[in-house]
Amino acid sequence: MTQNQRTAEKAQVAKAAAAAAPRRLTFWEQYRRKPQGVAGLLIVALYIAVAVFAPVVSKYDPMEDMYLADNIAVPIWLTKVNPRYRELPPTMQFNLGFDSWEVTAADGVEVTGWEFEDAEGISIDLPATEAPEPVEGEDGADTPPDSEDSGELFSIVSNVQWDPFGLVTSGQGTSRDEADEAVSLDFSFDYDYKKPQTFSASMGYHIDAPSDASTFIELDLVTPSGKAFDLWDTTAYGSVSNGSFIVDARDFDLKMRLGISFFDEPADVVFSERGTYTVRVKARSDSVSGPVNVRIEPVSFGVLGLAHGLLGTDHMGSDLWAQLVYGTRIALAIGLSAAFIAVFIGTSVGLIAGYLGGIVDEVLMGVVDVLLSIPTMPVLIVLGALFGKSVMNVVILLALFSWMGIARIVRSQTLSLKERTFVEAAKAAGGSSNYIMVSHILPNTMPLIFANLVLRIPSAILTEASLSFLGLGDPRVPTWGRMLQNARQFGAFTKMAWWWMLPPGIALTGLAVAFVFIGNSVNEILNPRYRERS
Amino acid sequence: MGFRSYLLKRLFYAVVVLFVILTFNYVLFRIMPGDPEKMILDPNFTPEAKMELRRQYGLDDPPLTQYLNYMKSLLTFDLGMSFSTRRLVWSELRERLPNTIVLFMVTFVGTAALGISLGVSSAANRGKFSEQLVMGAGLFAHAVPSFFIQLLLLLLFGYYWPILPIHGTISAPPPDGAWAQFLDRAWHLILPAGSNIVIGFGSWALYTRNTMLEALGQDYIVTARAKGLPRREILYHHSLRSVLPPIVTLIFMSLPGAVSGAVITESIFSWHGVGRYLLDATLQMDYPAAQGAFYLIALAVIISNLLADIAYGLVDPRIRVGAGAKR
Amino acid sequence: MALLEVKDLKMYYRTARGHVRAVDSVSFEIEQGKALGIAGESGCGKTSMASALLRLLPSNGSYHGGSVVMDGKELLTMSEEQFRKDIRWKRISMIFQGAMNALNPVHKVGEQIVEAILHHEDVSREQAVKRTHDLFGLVGINPKRFNEYPHEFSGGMKQRAVIAMALACHPDLIIADEPTTALDVMVQAQILKSIAELRQRLNLSMMLITHDLSVIAQTCDSVVIMYAGKVAEYGDVVDVYTRPAHPYAMGLVNSFPNIQAARTEVRSLPGFPPNLLAPPSGCRFHPRCPLADEECKQVEPAVREVGGNKHMVACHKAEIVQQGGDIWSR
Ligand SMILES: Nc1ncnc2c1ncn2[C@@H]1O[C@H](COP(=O)(O)OP(=O)(O)O)[C@@H](O)[C@H]1O
Ligand code: SF4
Ligand SMILES: [Mg+2]
Repeated sequence: MTQNQRTAEKAQVAKAAAAAAPRRLTFWEQYRRKPQGVAGLLIVALYIAVAVFAPVVSKYDPMEDMYLADNIAVPIWLTKVNPRYRELPPTMQFNLGFDSWEVTAADGVEVTGWEFEDAEGISIDLPATEAPEPVEGEDGADTPPDSEDSGELFSIVSNVQWDPFGLVTSGQGTSRDEADEAVSLDFSFDYDYKKPQTFSASMGYHIDAPSDASTFIELDLVTPSGKAFDLWDTTAYGSVSNGSFIVDARDFDLKMRLGISFFDEPADVVFSERGTYTVRVKARSDSVSGPVNVRIEPVSFGVLGLAHGLLGTDHMGSDLWAQLVYGTRIALAIGLSAAFIAVFIGTSVGLIAGYLGGIVDEVLMGVVDVLLSIPTMPVLIVLGALFGKSVMNVVILLALFSWMGIARIVRSQTLSLKERTFVEAAKAAGGSSNYIMVSHILPNTMPLIFANLVLRIPSAILTEASLSFLGLGDPRVPTWGRMLQNARQFGAFTKMAWWWMLPPGIALTGLAVAFVFIGNSVNEILNPRYRERS
Repeated sequence: MGFRSYLLKRLFYAVVVLFVILTFNYVLFRIMPGDPEKMILDPNFTPEAKMELRRQYGLDDPPLTQYLNYMKSLLTFDLGMSFSTRRLVWSELRERLPNTIVLFMVTFVGTAALGISLGVSSAANRGKFSEQLVMGAGLFAHAVPSFFIQLLLLLLFGYYWPILPIHGTISAPPPDGAWAQFLDRAWHLILPAGSNIVIGFGSWALYTRNTMLEALGQDYIVTARAKGLPRREILYHHSLRSVLPPIVTLIFMSLPGAVSGAVITESIFSWHGVGRYLLDATLQMDYPAAQGAFYLIALAVIISNLLADIAYGLVDPRIRVGAGAKR
Repeated sequence: MALLEVKDLKMYYRTARGHVRAVDSVSFEIEQGKALGIAGESGCGKTSMASALLRLLPSNGSYHGGSVVMDGKELLTMSEEQFRKDIRWKRISMIFQGAMNALNPVHKVGEQIVEAILHHEDVSREQAVKRTHDLFGLVGINPKRFNEYPHEFSGGMKQRAVIAMALACHPDLIIADEPTTALDVMVQAQILKSIAELRQRLNLSMMLITHDLSVIAQTCDSVVIMYAGKVAEYGDVVDVYTRPAHPYAMGLVNSFPNIQAARTEVRSLPGFPPNLLAPPSGCRFHPRCPLADEECKQVEPAVREVGGNKHMVACHKAEIVQQGGDIWSR
């Protein structure tokens, strides 16, 4: 029997044996069998999808869109479920252009639309009056001719008894005779909710008139029972360009104007009824020398809701669902980048220390030991405050204080790889240290590094959340930690607004759990120490 | 290497860490951003206060002198004066330190005791409920943000079901009598310490379970079984005893993290302690206070580390007795 | 009557991918004062069998039949408590594979022996300590080292200490599972020599597991050759070594020409040991056997006696094998 035959036979046997032995499963085949790992991947995929499609998932932008509703509005669906929150008003915001109004005009008055930006404003042409007679009658007191400014407080108070302490009456609407108005524009809407906390109105207007003309414009809110609340009015002499006003139920002026006490809220008084409310704009003019043209920009009128969206609003009336959705982006970005940087540093240090050994090793591992025994959170607090609260800084700081564990692991792996024949061979072939580290040792530590990378992510995410929660996060980005901080600081507790606190916490937990699942599964496959125990 | 040289080495190491932290502190609070004068001298200070601070910080001395003086002052707890309260930082810290230590110790002992005993029992009864519990709690500890749990507990026990005090260390005004005060303090400790234990015991339990299982798979455990030792004996005398060194390692590995957690806990439950002081001082840019608190915390960690090192040396004969032959 | 009778012993491991049939219908006997060698490739189930005898199964291992009888008493059905007290270490002790780790690093070496004595015998601590000192002397360790920890011992000394520990309760049977594998060659020889001497002196029975056939030839009376969890051949050392009846045994034995010759490792036959999760059909050896035919592939060979003297073999073609001729070099 020749040597050749024998070798051939051996090879054949070996081949047969190899064919008979079960094929080693690929990584993915093994991974697929781990329910935890698969669940983790699916969850992460979901988060990534939400992060990528955030503008689709959420109608609002968490930072731009403020005052979408009142502060700490409850989720809309909760008003259907929980009797305590039943019939809370949603936000109603009307932008009233020409088409929205029902016009009642006196003879000779012409009301048309006019282009204003994207919408259509209202243009009112008032004919000249016959004679400059002094105004008389019921509303004569409104407009003393010497009154200069339209917003003048006392121009209106005179016929209403103001009662700041609510001693006599509170919140009397004033019915007026409308006979004199040249034009009245009405817009009606239904209000069938509990009282809101606030409402607001604003409008811009322009008047082209002869200098001796006096023009009067008024905005009223008429309740279902017919009480009219004069929210704002002005008497202008001559032309006005770019006039505007904003009325807000929280403004002190309005309380005085409506004659209610310090302690009452205009919204309580005005929206004490249910049914059809009417927003009414009135205008008239006294002008002898010529016709007057009044142009009114689309009027905006709104009630800030006490119920809003999927998750309600925060203390700034910003949409919580939007914050939650956009928070996904930040969480993923911070988690991934901090983990990557940390793993990069850790791997480099571990490789160099393990491969070069000697004094380099001692020094590097000394640094690792020292850093490991420094409590991270206080350091991050101090550094975060000193270097400014930006996402970038947070990521860098997180990475700088979390690479040590990886360095240790990579170092010990490198130490054992260094002794293997293929490394010895590469050395003998004259490979440089850098070459050997990068092309021989690094690839063999990859699985380990990968598992650690995955496990690094959740802790980076959680640490960042803690920092944000402590008020050290970037104030310009919406993060889950900051949501929780706001919830704590701005009254979620006293209002028991669990819908403000639970979602970010659950989102954080879900993401962290998913990564831990993935990391553990990967570890079980790649790290034999875990495998034996299964 | 004998026990003595081991101790000396650890001591040396502790001094190095202390030195690093002092230097870090120095660099951090004066050289890094901007002008040290601006940082240290609050513009609202009276000229006398400014003079005093300049003297205290020796801002006109050469840098090396400044550094040495600074070292000396920190080592003697001369930590300067707080901007916001105008009191000596050290006296403010000294007043808070006991609170922090109490919270920390209760948390630490509770977490370790619960975690280790659960870990041991789950390693001993594989596949039973305790094992599921430990695995779940371990995952919980790794993946749930601790402050979130604390917020939930706060919401639950402070608002929905207000039976527990949710802030402070003692009622105001404090009750009369030492015993009543003690009870009142314990009462206030329940939520902060309890939440910490709930959050933390899982990782201890999981770690103990894993090292126990590893130990139980060791040859010497098989030997012990073969020798016909009873189960309890094997579990406690052989397995648990032999995993004590790694558990002690865990103690000092988890110290920095526990301190980090303490800062958050103190802030959530308005605990009158050093961690919250650090946070408040930092947020208010009260540099002397922040620096002092940071120094104190770091010092505490170094000392605890040193104690853990000694404990490690005591439980591991390889260190206590030293190596007679090659391992 | 034999000291220990093992009959049809089956012990499997449960794994995620099915049962590993590590010990599958194994039968043999050990006579009082005699030594039995167990040989076979790594992974063929030697250690599994040893731990099955002492009922030291890992959590995923379980018995699937068979019996182990010692002095007429069935060991497998005995209560755990009684087995622990009366059998372990008192009747059967064990020297473990990789004895380097058989000592608990956090306890003193002497104490680990004292502990074994105190748990089984009603003696005072002083007596136990004294006996431990004697045992140290017996295996050639200075009794002064009683209070040292395992890490202060060298490898050979640890192994001696483990042997001393195995002798502590005057057992009838010592199972030695590859007692010398981790040691260097010089120390191996010393240890084996002292094991053999002690056995003679104390009239101990022994089961020696090794994959070094020459060690068995030198120290044992009979031998079991295991293949893939089964007994391939079993009999007197002289019978098996001079007239092997199983192709596997023949391959092993023929690879050293002389019983007294240099040590030879088992692993020298072509092919690989089978996967015990799904062992080959018929004769488990057939994929590697030069004599294999259809029958071998289909029918599992029964264990039968060839040529008297309790020379047992599991092969359809035992007679052809015994006719001689080098079946392996065709
Ligand atoms: N706890 C276990 N679980 C599953 N399989 C095991 C276990 N222990 C050993 N095995 C398998 O059982 C077979 C026999 O192992 P072992 O008895 O250690 O062989 P040997 O001692 O002859 O080398 C091997 O294939 C091994 O992989
Ligand atoms: S039974 Fe057949 S295959 Fe098995 S050993 Fe004998 S000859 Fe070979
Ligand atoms: Mg073995």
